[in-house]
Amino acid sequence: MTPQLDRRAFLKLIGVTTVVAACGGAATGPSAAPSVAASVAAKATGRINIYSALNESTNNELFAAFTKATGVGADVLPLAAAGELQTRIRAEKGNPKADIFIGGDSSFHDGLGKEGLLEPFMSANASAIATEAKDPSGNWTGWYFGVFGFVSNTDRLTKEVSGKKPKTWDDLLDPAWKQKLVMPDPVKTGGGYIFLATQVFRFGKDEDRAMDFMKKLHPNIAQYVGTAPQGIQLVSQGQFVGGPNWSHDILTEKAKNPGIDLTIPDLTGFEIGAVSIVKGTKNLPGGKALVDWILTKEAGELNVKLSNRVSVRKDVAPAPGAPTLDQVKLVTYDRAWAADNKERLIKKWQQAVGL
Amino acid sequence: MRGLTREPPLLLALLGVVALVLAFIVYPQVQVVIAPGSDGYAAFLQGGTWVTPLRNSLQVVALSTTTAVLLGFLYAYAMVYTDMRWKPFFRLVGILPLLSPPFVVAAAYILLFGPRGIVTYGIFGQTPIIFGLMGIWGVQTIAFFPFAYQLIADVLSRSDARMEQAARNLGAGPWQVFRTVTLPLSRPGLGAAILTTAIYILEDFGNPQLIGGVFTVLPTQAYSLISGFGDFTGAAAVSTILLALALALYLAKLRLDGGRSFVTISGRASSMPRPPVPPGLSWACFAGCLALSGLILMVYGALVVSAFTIAFPTNITFTTTNFQFVATGSNGDALRNTIVFGTVAAAVSAVLALFAGWLVQRGDWPGRRALDFLLIMPAAIPGIFFGIGYLTAFNQTWLDWVDRGWIIVLSMIFWNIPVGYQAAVAGLRQIDRSLDEAATSLGASKLRGFRDVLFPVLAGSLRVGFVTTFVRAVTTLSVVIFLFTPPTTVATIRIYQLVNDLNWGGATAFTVADISLAIAALLVFALLARGRLVLGMARG
Amino acid sequence: MASASAAVAPAVSPAHLRVSHVTKRFAGVTAVDDVSFDVPKGSFATLLGPSGCGKTTTLRTIAGFYDPDAGDIELGGRRINDLPAHRRGTAMVFQDYALFPHMSVRDNVAYGLHLARVGRDERDRRVKDTLAFVGLTGLEDRWPNQLSGGQQQRVAVARALVIEPQVLLLDEPLSNLDAKLREQLRVELRVMQRRLGMTFVYVTHDQEEALSLSDWIAVMNAGRVEQAGTPWDIYYHPRTAFLADFVGAVNLVPASVIAIEGAAVTLGLGDRRITLRPTGPTPTAGSEVRLCVRPESLLLGAAGSVADGAVVLPGTVVRRSFLGDAMRYWVKVDDREWIVDQPDPGAAAALDGAVSLILRPERAHLIV
Repeated sequence: MTPQLDRRAFLKLIGVTTVVAACGGAATGPSAAPSVAASVAAKATGRINIYSALNESTNNELFAAFTKATGVGADVLPLAAAGELQTRIRAEKGNPKADIFIGGDSSFHDGLGKEGLLEPFMSANASAIATEAKDPSGNWTGWYFGVFGFVSNTDRLTKEVSGKKPKTWDDLLDPAWKQKLVMPDPVKTGGGYIFLATQVFRFGKDEDRAMDFMKKLHPNIAQYVGTAPQGIQLVSQGQFVGGPNWSHDILTEKAKNPGIDLTIPDLTGFEIGAVSIVKGTKNLPGGKALVDWILTKEAGELNVKLSNRVSVRKDVAPAPGAPTLDQVKLVTYDRAWAADNKERLIKKWQQAVGL
Repeated sequence: MRGLTREPPLLLALLGVVALVLAFIVYPQVQVVIAPGSDGYAAFLQGGTWVTPLRNSLQVVALSTTTAVLLGFLYAYAMVYTDMRWKPFFRLVGILPLLSPPFVVAAAYILLFGPRGIVTYGIFGQTPIIFGLMGIWGVQTIAFFPFAYQLIADVLSRSDARMEQAARNLGAGPWQVFRTVTLPLSRPGLGAAILTTAIYILEDFGNPQLIGGVFTVLPTQAYSLISGFGDFTGAAAVSTILLALALALYLAKLRLDGGRSFVTISGRASSMPRPPVPPGLSWACFAGCLALSGLILMVYGALVVSAFTIAFPTNITFTTTNFQFVATGSNGDALRNTIVFGTVAAAVSAVLALFAGWLVQRGDWPGRRALDFLLIMPAAIPGIFFGIGYLTAFNQTWLDWVDRGWIIVLSMIFWNIPVGYQAAVAGLRQIDRSLDEAATSLGASKLRGFRDVLFPVLAGSLRVGFVTTFVRAVTTLSVVIFLFTPPTTVATIRIYQLVNDLNWGGATAFTVADISLAIAALLVFALLARGRLVLGMARG
Repeated sequence: MASASAAVAPAVSPAHLRVSHVTKRFAGVTAVDDVSFDVPKGSFATLLGPSGCGKTTTLRTIAGFYDPDAGDIELGGRRINDLPAHRRGTAMVFQDYALFPHMSVRDNVAYGLHLARVGRDERDRRVKDTLAFVGLTGLEDRWPNQLSGGQQQRVAVARALVIEPQVLLLDEPLSNLDAKLREQLRVELRVMQRRLGMTFVYVTHDQEEALSLSDWIAVMNAGRVEQAGTPWDIYYHPRTAFLADFVGAVNLVPASVIAIEGAAVTLGLGDRRITLRPTGPTPTAGSEVRLCVRPESLLLGAAGSVADGAVVLPGTVVRRSFLGDAMRYWVKVDDREWIVDQPDPGAAAALDGAVSLILRPERAHLIV
């Protein structure tokens, strides 16, 4: 099966299930949401501790809306670093402090799940979500997508690369891009690794071809940076011409600096943003209430508004300037395989580019 | 040893210090070190991913330490020996690089000296490679010379003018006096400066992370193992490698020291002034310090400008909107917590360091060397591990009643104790034991003698410990990442959040506020301290 | 012949400070080797010897800075070995004064009283009185680095005296001062000690200091007490050549004992025979001894002088040296140079060439 077919099938699946869910939910109609929420609120009270890897600008409004909708108070520990939060939760397992772990790619949640540190919970609202976006054992549930895109500095792009935005990743091999790209380091950043794995999946798991591509790309990369946002900042400042990065972050920066632009080349990678309940939580009803709520349309729309990310729900419109899911060509991303082979692939990449 | 048993309070104090060290330095780290288990270590070492970072780390340490100590020595010499002007200004600038909250300052360097940097490209039309080894070297030299400067200035300020006059008297020219008298006598400070600077550079994470690009050093490797892979055991193995390197540096320093006498304060007072420094030299020092200060101020200036513009350098419209949320909500709490935690940690750390330094340097009891190493060791532990260690060690249900703020303060105290401790030991080596004995002879127990005589004379070393602990406490991210909770959040966490939010305006504004508050606090402390403690404050 | 004993046992006062068989070793080197002596209350005792002889080590052991490997130290009848240094009732004056640089003169002197929790009024009074005693009134508010060496030393002494210790220990306190000042302070110290009636234990390598200050001297060499006694004893009746040579200039002439008749001893100096009535232990006939004569005990006369009842030796002046209060001559007798000091050089012309060396028979001492 070619990646193209997969993508179409995937989207069809989402579409079908959404339609089914909409039909199923249509009977109860819009009043379903409040009544579900009301019945949840009746059980859930108190407060929950949320370890959130979401953006700063998302946290306050999002969780305020949650409290308003459910009556459960939210104490947020914000740290936009899912890896650190994962480590923290793991270190606290003797005396867990968190009730909810939210944000960050599902692989971080998955890791904790496999160690038995999460409380499985299948929300009713998750039935509408594609199977790829949730954990079969219910340890975590995906609720947004982060699509990998390409940021470019319009001014320098026009002057130095004749304004050619890449349609596919192979376009970046053009010698015109020599020493003009900046991208997140695959070793140090989640985004960088996703880019690397994306290439592998793009070539149908043919690692040698993928590494060959990365090797040819290497001379065009002026710098591998230690954090993904830094890549965007440098392009925004004009220090570099462009680079692969998170499309939602690119949109956020574009709102401040119209001098940059977002493109999404074909066969790009993506992350699944997840939410999970920590084992040992002292407020299980409250945690469940959060998971339920985060999967609602209201929450989805709010998240899109605040962070430009894409909701797993088809009935939530994407951010302005962001493409809808069927406008982009996503690669078949085998998340589990990517996580298991991370060390090996990175080593291979380092050897290929001579680092 | 008999001396200890004859003075029970002293014995208790010693046991107290040992207990503190065991509880707050050793115990939290034991978890980290044994986490991988021998299988984990074997697997990691075989994997070989540590070889390149190790080599890189050694390179970086060798280069950056050399230039940072050189710069620190020149700066200290200029401040203590010459009579150049504007010394208070230079004193402040000399501490400024330590006030470097994560990300933003390194970003300012790139802004100025990057491939399209304002200075490099805008003025000189060059596109240098600032990333990688060169960039790290440059930034670390500037960022770490203040350590060397503080430690060396402290020792130089207690140098004995009579010895230098004697040398001049015997016909030595200024350069010879420097080479044969001043330099050798400042060896305790020099040794301490080299060791401390080297270990902190070894452990430096923030700068290589931002400017290193693909040039990985051990701390960045450890970080990415956790952040990117969730591989705690691998990261713990890296942390152990760092500890081993620190031990090696420590042993090297012991060999270099040789245990000679460097007494310059002997209780035989002299009002002899130092031999005058040739005016040419004074002016050269002034020019050098001015150039260095200019560089530092440029970097911080870029920061300030960024804070007050919409999107420096592309959009330089003046605005104050970036500051709108500096004091609101959790941000305001963060700033307050930062200053409070920093002050408490600095005060306790400085005093404890001095006391521990005295116990080790003046004491005569078994296990002294071990305690000496343990008090320097925290410098080699990457902040993340210090934080993780504390998290695991103190996340016990029976400790839940302890305010998390205290855990953060404790971590700051002990993570930063090496600097104050080194300063104390170097200082004590300069003070003749006859002062101790005089106090004893007049009826003072050893503890009393420490309090009444040594403590005041070592005011300078105390200040070094206080200032560096405060500054590092206020700017550390890696340690607090695992320890903070919403009510105990600190400025660096807020900055991190803002950066990840791509809110560079907000991040720089917050950084400017953080640094300004820290400077204000330092000025207040300086004013308060001026009242008491005469010696040691006057110079350098 | 008087023989000096190690322990002074005056008829009335018992020993105030008693050092018994104290030994102290440092890394295999025995610095103090089975040293014993008694110091009576109110006396000025001195430990005299060359550097490295163990005198400072002994002093510091008394003070409590070192623990003896063997032996006991008693103060006022009480064994103080196990007392910590700061509670022994001793106070020390250091060679380099050890003034606290961060305290004024007044605070330096008041420190010990402060530690003893003496009330403010009494403390102020005692500080004032002691400073007056050492002659430093008016300098209370100065800082140590504003004082001259002599002034600093006086502050150090005042600081130790004001707390009224049982014993004052002084470690070569005058060696950093110039000669004139040294002499002046020496006199002052002695006067102070007499006035206070305090027991002083003084350490020095300067024999002139020791002789002029002390009631009692112990001369030490290589960790042992070679001889202890009054200054007079030490000076005129040394028991070893080392002692004779160390304390003052001396003529040490090897001789053989020819005959002994009561108090008269006939000695052979080469071919010469002289009969003396020397002090010192009785020698055995036929043994080799050393004749010990102080330079100022000899007289120089013109060649061929005759002196009744005295030994006259013919000699030649080899050289001379003007010492100010005496003219020192080196006179060659047979194949030996004798040192002779003549007082009041201004009274007569200097002697030269052939002279007569005149020795009164009881002005000699034998070292066997």
